[in-house]
Amino acid sequence: MTRLAAEAVGWAVEGRFVLVDVALALPAGSLNVLTGENGAGKSTLLDILAGARKPARGHVALDGVPLAEIAPAHLARRIARLDHTPGLYLELSALENLQLFHGLVQSPGAPLDAAALLERVGLAARDQRRPVRGFSRGMLQRTALARVLASGADVWLLDEPSTGLDRAGCALLADVLADVRARGATVLLATHDPALLPLADARLHLSHGRLVAAEVA
Amino acid sequence: MLLRLTWLLLQKDLRVAARSREVFGFMLLFALLCVVVFAFGFLREGEAAAAQVPGVLWVTLLFAGTVGLLRLFAAEEEGGTLHLAQRTLAGPHPLLLSKSLMQLIFSGVTTLLLLPVVLVFFDAALVQPAPVLAALALGLVGQAVLGALVAALLVHVRLREVLLPLVLYPLLAPLLIAGVRVTVLAQGNAPAETVDSWLGLMAGYDLVVLATAPWLHARVVEP
Repeated sequence: MTRLAAEAVGWAVEGRFVLVDVALALPAGSLNVLTGENGAGKSTLLDILAGARKPARGHVALDGVPLAEIAPAHLARRIARLDHTPGLYLELSALENLQLFHGLVQSPGAPLDAAALLERVGLAARDQRRPVRGFSRGMLQRTALARVLASGADVWLLDEPSTGLDRAGCALLADVLADVRARGATVLLATHDPALLPLADARLHLSHGRLVAAEVA
Repeated sequence: MLLRLTWLLLQKDLRVAARSREVFGFMLLFALLCVVVFAFGFLREGEAAAAQVPGVLWVTLLFAGTVGLLRLFAAEEEGGTLHLAQRTLAGPHPLLLSKSLMQLIFSGVTTLLLLPVVLVFFDAALVQPAPVLAALALGLVGQAVLGALVAALLVHVRLREVLLPLVLYPLLAPLLIAGVRVTVLAQGNAPAETVDSWLGLMAGYDLVVLATAPWLHARVVEP
């Protein structure tokens, strides 16, 4: 079953098309890797797939329903995005960040074991309670990964998720991704990291705004 | 739902402000500095200083409020959380409401601390304090909501530090004029009807802002 699909998606900046006729179909419970040179349009495509940008042409559908027809609040529950910024309040602790973002998109009383999630991404108990401003890039990335886990979303759109992670962090990322895929989530990650390529069920390659290769592993 | 999420975001803002300690202190310091500068600029020997109070008070609050507004979305920009805070179960409204309340808290406390300072500095007394306090409350509400809206609209704009006052001050002119008029009238023994008409104007202005700001905000933040 196709979870997230794009059809003839185009995006233009100042009259120049950055994405041209991009079409893809991501099945439920699949892990997909998006590659491409710098400036190929990977981040823009992820933004459009997440509903953060309206495509200039074409459309994106989640479970067959165009994103434009889905309430943003519902979209926030279904699609989680991890981009170049950590998406965290730097003066709050990792625990406070998780509780806040969970509270914003989930109904009151929805269960959240924030400490367990942070432990899952390798954040020690003493680090969970201090402001994340003092975190290294890798620790911020781990916390951001925990935020995505806490969202409960079943579509994950990740932009360079291994940035700043050490070898153990990369292994943990691979483990988390395999785990969410096994639970039926759809993952699309844009990366230059060759270590993540073997995880993919399908590899997509963008070049100058065009999807030039879609290869099923 | 709206109130729960607004409270959640407001709690976060208060926590961030308490830990970063950067906004409120600067607002207050800037307000005090404005009063001193105005005192140097306006006070003349032999002239009644109290006559300057309405203008000094309202312009100082406008300037100090701008300092707060320029930092209102700083935490979101720094951590890249703006899109996450906009996409809540109740849409983007809790974000605008919490930011408006945050600005109102900061400017309200600044006003409470500043008012006695201005009165002492300019050797003035409020013959009728109630209308002035009512005008200040209405003025601060309007400034907070409209200011939060303009700050949200300009959050991705490169020259927002320059543009925010350029966009906001003309919009706030009716509140500023009415606030100054009420303060002038309250210094004397003006008839209640005259004061009430200015307060009515301010209340009407606030109602229009409160009714339109959430709609405008939602229109702008949607992709």
